Amino acid sequence: MRKLTTALLAGLVIATGASAALAADKTEISVSRFFGACEADYGSVTDVTKANGECGIITALINKFNAESKTTVVKPEIVEWPGYDQLTARIRSGEPPVISVMHEAVISDYSSRGLLEPLDEDFAKAGVDVNDMTDAARQGVTKDGKIYAMPFDTHTWLWHINMNLFKQAGLVDSAGKPILPKSTDELMQQAEQFKAKTGKPYFVWTLANETAFYTRTFDTLLYQQNANFFADPNKVNFSSPEAKKGLQLLTDLYTKGLTTKNQDYAASVSSFAAGDAGVFICGTWLIDTYDQEAKKSGALANGYAVTAFPQIYPGSPRVWADGHSWVLLKQDLSAAQRASAVEFMKFLWDNDFQWARTGHLPVRKSIIDSAEFKGLPHRGDIASLAVNGTALPAAVKRQFSIQDIEGEEVGSAIRGDKSVDQALGDAEHRINELLANTK
Amino acid sequence: MAASEQIVGRGIGNKVILASVIVVAIVWMLPIAWVLILSFKSNAELMISTGAAFHLPYTLKNYSDIFQTSGVFRWLWNSAVVSVGVTAGILILSSLAGYGFARAEFKGRDILFVLVLLGLAVPEQAVIIARHQMFSDLRMHNTYPAIILPGLSSAFGVFLMTQYFKAIPKDIDEAAMLDNASRFKIFWKVLLPLTVPAQATLGIFSFLGAWNDYLWPLISATKPEMFTITVGIASTQTNFAQSEGLGFLMAQAVFAGLPVFVVYLFFQKYIVRAVAGAAIS
Amino acid sequence: MTDVTLSPDKPTAAVRRPTGASIGPHWANALFVAPYLVFYVVLLVYPLFKGIWMSMLESDMFDNTSKFAGLANYYRLFNDKIFIGTIWNTTWFVAMTVPVFVTIGLLLALALNRSDRTSATLRATFFGTSVLSVTIVTIVWKMMYMPGNGAIAGVMRYFGWEPLDFITSATLALPAIAVTTVWWIIGLPMMLFLAALQQIPGELYEAAALDNAGRWRSFWSITLPSIRRTMLVVVIYEIVAQFQLFGQAWLLTKGGPNNASRPIVLFIYEQGFRSWNLGYAAAASEVLFLIMAIAAVAQFFASRKRVEG
Repeated sequence: MRKLTTALLAGLVIATGASAALAADKTEISVSRFFGACEADYGSVTDVTKANGECGIITALINKFNAESKTTVVKPEIVEWPGYDQLTARIRSGEPPVISVMHEAVISDYSSRGLLEPLDEDFAKAGVDVNDMTDAARQGVTKDGKIYAMPFDTHTWLWHINMNLFKQAGLVDSAGKPILPKSTDELMQQAEQFKAKTGKPYFVWTLANETAFYTRTFDTLLYQQNANFFADPNKVNFSSPEAKKGLQLLTDLYTKGLTTKNQDYAASVSSFAAGDAGVFICGTWLIDTYDQEAKKSGALANGYAVTAFPQIYPGSPRVWADGHSWVLLKQDLSAAQRASAVEFMKFLWDNDFQWARTGHLPVRKSIIDSAEFKGLPHRGDIASLAVNGTALPAAVKRQFSIQDIEGEEVGSAIRGDKSVDQALGDAEHRINELLANTK
Repeated sequence: MAASEQIVGRGIGNKVILASVIVVAIVWMLPIAWVLILSFKSNAELMISTGAAFHLPYTLKNYSDIFQTSGVFRWLWNSAVVSVGVTAGILILSSLAGYGFARAEFKGRDILFVLVLLGLAVPEQAVIIARHQMFSDLRMHNTYPAIILPGLSSAFGVFLMTQYFKAIPKDIDEAAMLDNASRFKIFWKVLLPLTVPAQATLGIFSFLGAWNDYLWPLISATKPEMFTITVGIASTQTNFAQSEGLGFLMAQAVFAGLPVFVVYLFFQKYIVRAVAGAAIS
Repeated sequence: MTDVTLSPDKPTAAVRRPTGASIGPHWANALFVAPYLVFYVVLLVYPLFKGIWMSMLESDMFDNTSKFAGLANYYRLFNDKIFIGTIWNTTWFVAMTVPVFVTIGLLLALALNRSDRTSATLRATFFGTSVLSVTIVTIVWKMMYMPGNGAIAGVMRYFGWEPLDFITSATLALPAIAVTTVWWIIGLPMMLFLAALQQIPGELYEAAALDNAGRWRSFWSITLPSIRRTMLVVVIYEIVAQFQLFGQAWLLTKGGPNNASRPIVLFIYEQGFRSWNLGYAAAASEVLFLIMAIAAVAQFFASRKRVEG
């Protein structure tokens, strides 16, 4: 028994000793993030321009910071996406990370409980010009008049297009641009035409093991019809004719075989790359990945295009959006730790262009207007999203729980497990029940 | 035993049965073979199609990558510490309590034993919310004790050891008492060695239980350096990893499953005997 | 922990008993069970009662102003379609898996109850998957089930069939989890049955052979009655274990689609750590506890009757 205890202790000492040695002369701060682990490919890369994809770029950015900073060591802690269950458990345990990545949609859950530090003064001191933030970013990180996070990107819902298949389907105009629907009727007609000419479904949809796809797409259809479904932040309204129309459209597309079936996220990502369908409805983060794919010989060879979610309802071109941001968690931080945390956030702010290479929209007006950003592939096609990206009102609580419920119910209707009316009714009831019991 | 084998083994029916079990066993191993093959393919190829698994080229890069990413080794170590800790703790506590309940009389013992048995009906998940609050209030999460200690409250081991001690003939310890041995000495020197088969059974169950536990470490070990292998692998199993790093994910799964699988193959014989021991009691 | 193990030594020294232990009750004997009782009370009994108390509070993860709510959480639970659904799902899952564990476990044990090398290897094969952790098991099976990347879909497409939508179909999701679970831990019931079979005295079969009893008859009249106790152990153990389904469902389907595969424990986890409704989560745990307690009592009486009768 004594031997065992000694062995246990020895293990602890080795483990903590290694990190303690590093932190001896610099202040160490823990930074919890998702985006995946890719030290194998990028573990020693400090030249961010050589990195690609979300994981590669964030890994290289942190490497670069650690190599350059004279005062701070960032210890990255990689967690599951989106990781809020565990972050919650960890905050409750009294040992939160110093910094965590956080979707702007969930900031208010944590800020309203006093779990985050407001950052206005720190940013002013560090020289972060908050007036340079885009409107979407600034709104996303501002809760009750205070800034609670360093915004990192705005990400929205797009159409990734396989131009090779679009050509085959006769859906490319004389200027070489894809022909996109301007109404729901056109959408149906073009999708049928695509299927007839190519023998493949028009859409790749992520339907398995997933709620985000359903919610983001459905929300977008509601925004486009100007349906104000969260007029009261404590009560959702899905009983509108707009909600019914939107969900019926998605259901029709599915039942008419105009989408791929049963794919999970991974399968849908590869399915589009393999040329199984014409349009993949997914997010900004895949632009760079597919752009690289288009340079290879494959189904996407020289034939990748991307566009903002086309406006198919007469209402507005608005589209679902959210943003990644970095929050400072409330705890007993020394002045040095807090300074280090802000130093790291400022570094990310300064290097926001690099992050925008993933495909995400930058959070700084100066970058959006820069020639450098405009020079990136496809960015002209999606610039409108910086204006049209729409998030749920900040006062809506538990937005990730809502996303799960809404996505489950919308999915049930699309796959035919429930009628459209029942799914909308159940979603409304469950979300309102959740919000009624949420402080 | 030999006779029963002959009976079961008689006739040609026997060969048919064995052949069909072999077929089932091959099917049984297919999922693992599939993951194994995928782990030798590059991420880029798998992103287009997993059909690529059936042709060249194969690569060892996914495995060499594991050695460059810090996580897995640390998680394996954590799992080992936790599982050994839980196993040792359960064996010690259950042996003592089992002897106590079976042999060492004191006032109110039988009522106490019934109360402990009632604990068998309390699933871990039914107390998990309250336990999480307790460890939070004590600021103990993200430590080895926090992951290990809850496992020691399980009544199963006490029940098993009590049954086992009861099955040992009483004259053995009565003889020792006549020799003026103390209670603890009788327990330690005379009876405990007789319970080795039960210890092995309980030890194996406890070790596997702790190694495979998921829910409690998921909410208690929330710092990546404290993850057990189960939680750690789950944390890398993101959408991203499955689309753009599938080969690496498969290699990680193989690598994380390997140590305990090798240990299992090594101890296979004893495990069978141990489980057999459990059934006798 | 070292201190705890030494404590049973103390009584002998403290009460000065050089002449050895006496037969009959003595308070110091309680020190043998004391170390375990400390863990039992602190980590099981106390949280159980704390949980019951919490279930009657309107309590929240980060808000310390909990209000007494009486049975409001329970009232809400039984009007919550999702929660009722989880009870149904979990019960259905138990009903699907336990009989399979018993029959397949017993069949494998019967077929592999031999001492040759082949059987040993086969036993190792079927038990081997039990040592894998749930995360690895679900990765393995995701690679089987997924419509795009999955192996089963690939095979079905090869034969020109439409791949089955294991994970997205409300009817197939829970059975898919059940198959995964059986694959994962069939080894334990198999081993328990093997052990029981090896306890059956060979003379019984020899006698039967003299009577010219066929394989089938000796199975019914000798094997089955001899392993009745083990069968009961397997049934009880598996019912208790499968009611606590969590990891497979969480990692394979996240409880979907349409709540078709959400078990009770996942509901508890989501209410507690995602929606921060601790009181509500605690109430759901108490319902789980109640169901298990009823199952345990029922099993207890059933086993008594059968052993007697």
